Amino acid sequence: METPTLDSVTTIRDDGSRRMLHPADVRGRFTRWRAIFGWLLLAVYAGLPWIPVNGNPAVFLDVAHRQFHLFGLTFVMQDLWVAFFLISGVGFSLFYVTALLGRVWCGWACPQTVYLDVVRRIERLFEGDAMAQERLDRSAWTLEKTLRRGGKQFAFFLFSAALSHVFLCYYVSPAGLLAMMHGPPREHWGSFVFVFLMTGAMWFNFAWFREQFCIVLCPYGRLQSALIDNDSLVIGYDANRGEPRGRKGTAGAGDCVDCLRCVKVCPTGIDIRQGLQMECIGCAACIDACDEVMTKLDRPRGLVRYDSLHGFAGKVRRILRPRLILYTGLLLLGAAAMTYALSTLRPVTVSLTRVRGTPYVLAAEEVRNQFLLRILNKRNAPQTFTVTISDGPPTLRWSGTEGGVLVGPLGEEMRSIVVTTSREEGHGTFPLNVRVHSVEHRTVIETIVPFIGPGY
Amino acid sequence: MKSPAEDPEPLRPHSYDGIQEYDKRLPNWWLFTLYGAIVYAIGYWVLFHQFEIGMEPGLAVEITMRENQQTATRNASILSDELLWKLSRDPQIVAAGKTTYDNMCASCHLPTLAGQIGPNLIDEFWLHGGHPLAVVRTINEGVVPKGMIAWASVLGQEKIKEVTAYILSYHREGEPVQQAPPWVPGQIAPPASAGH
Repeated sequence: METPTLDSVTTIRDDGSRRMLHPADVRGRFTRWRAIFGWLLLAVYAGLPWIPVNGNPAVFLDVAHRQFHLFGLTFVMQDLWVAFFLISGVGFSLFYVTALLGRVWCGWACPQTVYLDVVRRIERLFEGDAMAQERLDRSAWTLEKTLRRGGKQFAFFLFSAALSHVFLCYYVSPAGLLAMMHGPPREHWGSFVFVFLMTGAMWFNFAWFREQFCIVLCPYGRLQSALIDNDSLVIGYDANRGEPRGRKGTAGAGDCVDCLRCVKVCPTGIDIRQGLQMECIGCAACIDACDEVMTKLDRPRGLVRYDSLHGFAGKVRRILRPRLILYTGLLLLGAAAMTYALSTLRPVTVSLTRVRGTPYVLAAEEVRNQFLLRILNKRNAPQTFTVTISDGPPTLRWSGTEGGVLVGPLGEEMRSIVVTTSREEGHGTFPLNVRVHSVEHRTVIETIVPFIGPGY
Repeated sequence: MKSPAEDPEPLRPHSYDGIQEYDKRLPNWWLFTLYGAIVYAIGYWVLFHQFEIGMEPGLAVEITMRENQQTATRNASILSDELLWKLSRDPQIVAAGKTTYDNMCASCHLPTLAGQIGPNLIDEFWLHGGHPLAVVRTINEGVVPKGMIAWASVLGQEKIKEVTAYILSYHREGEPVQQAPPWVPGQIAPPASAGH
């Protein structure tokens, strides 16, 4: 096999063509835990739309109706601004985790890694181990090769289709998906084409693209050099212990016997012994591979291990460092802001605006102000609202919301409110305290609007 | 450009902070995305700009919007006294008009239409013209100094049509129409002369 160099990407040959990798099988503690964790993540991904909370799927991004159900909470478009905290929070958490634990996301939790682990298992099932796969690559197109390759691609297609349908579930709910699957495609062309394209893209990814995504496309991978420092957790090779390489028994040789196991199992085709590299997705396959060899040689495990660059250089790894303290502070600040934002969400949006035209109307003994009240019910059940106005002079009266305002589920109602006071008391401007009270939710929205009279 | 085969170490001449770059070939699949984008751009240009076989998405939206606007203007301009009288006998339109009236108009004209802050709407006295199109105009433009706002931008033509039909449902075509004296807010309305 070709030995990886630091000069170029192993998976791209000098002429620009692609070299398909066949990572060898590996067994060990990290591989086992990653497999368990991967299946768990897949189960969560497939399961979330099926778990009902408050009558809706646990996660249901109902784009068609502009409402988003998250673990029992319902958000409407007007609440979309809290998504800022959610998305920036997820992004910042990734920064935080990277500073602390390096590319643990890539190796353990990224969908691409989790999916590709399944894909490689499928490949092994149809084509055998890495050696057999390479033999099959070189062999002529026999019936056996056609059957093995065809079966594998069909399995990839099934896996892609399943993942795409689960993805659609998040937007249309399982019930909606089932209804679509029973109906003809022309009744839901958009969704049909979406799943078709997504299945195609995933199949292409599984059948051919694979690690190219991590090496060339993924922006997170590109940010690594800025996000990690010498104290971040990385996978590396203990050169002090391993070098110089040599067979067992060679005088003066280090612990590395240059068996190339760590290279053969690498899914991105690098040699971890060349140090920290951009292509490393932190999957820990090389750790398990090396540990197996070291155990056979009766040498201590951990020639390739999780450690920091400081640790590999024989220095002390500091976990608490200014960068991490700053990140922790910012993360807590962001979490507090998000909690506050979520706690201010009301089941209703109220807007009270002065009508266009004159600011006030003089009529006989009265001064009048007119307002338009809009009430938007953000819940799936009807709500009744009562409106009271206080803080005005004794002669203040208002009309327009007698008997309360009933607003249907996710509906909007508008009322014209006329506020009247006597000429004597309606001079200048004074604040009116308007309280809109939801009978069902016991929520009160308070708005202050100025009453405007002559001489303001 | 030399191919990598001719020059095994294609090093770029520049050096920044002591860092130099190789000049390796790009992955073929990467180049295909570039060529694909060029082919797509040519197709787009031919389709939308050169031969105008397809309509540019932005332009298509603008044209649709203009068409909708024209349809709306046409629908609004075909309003006539006859049509409004006909609508005022359509129970569905009248019911829709009543909903809007109760929500938006009753605060001044009372749910009974007998008038309080604003004038009575069910007697034969009219301030701003008693025929259906005059009623539509009054609602549209309002009587701003008296506190009747211009409802056109708030309600829209469809709802104004329905509200007019609702008011007219308390009247008969050909009934006597008289000029009303100025309305004094809060005055006790005379008994209704017409109604259901």
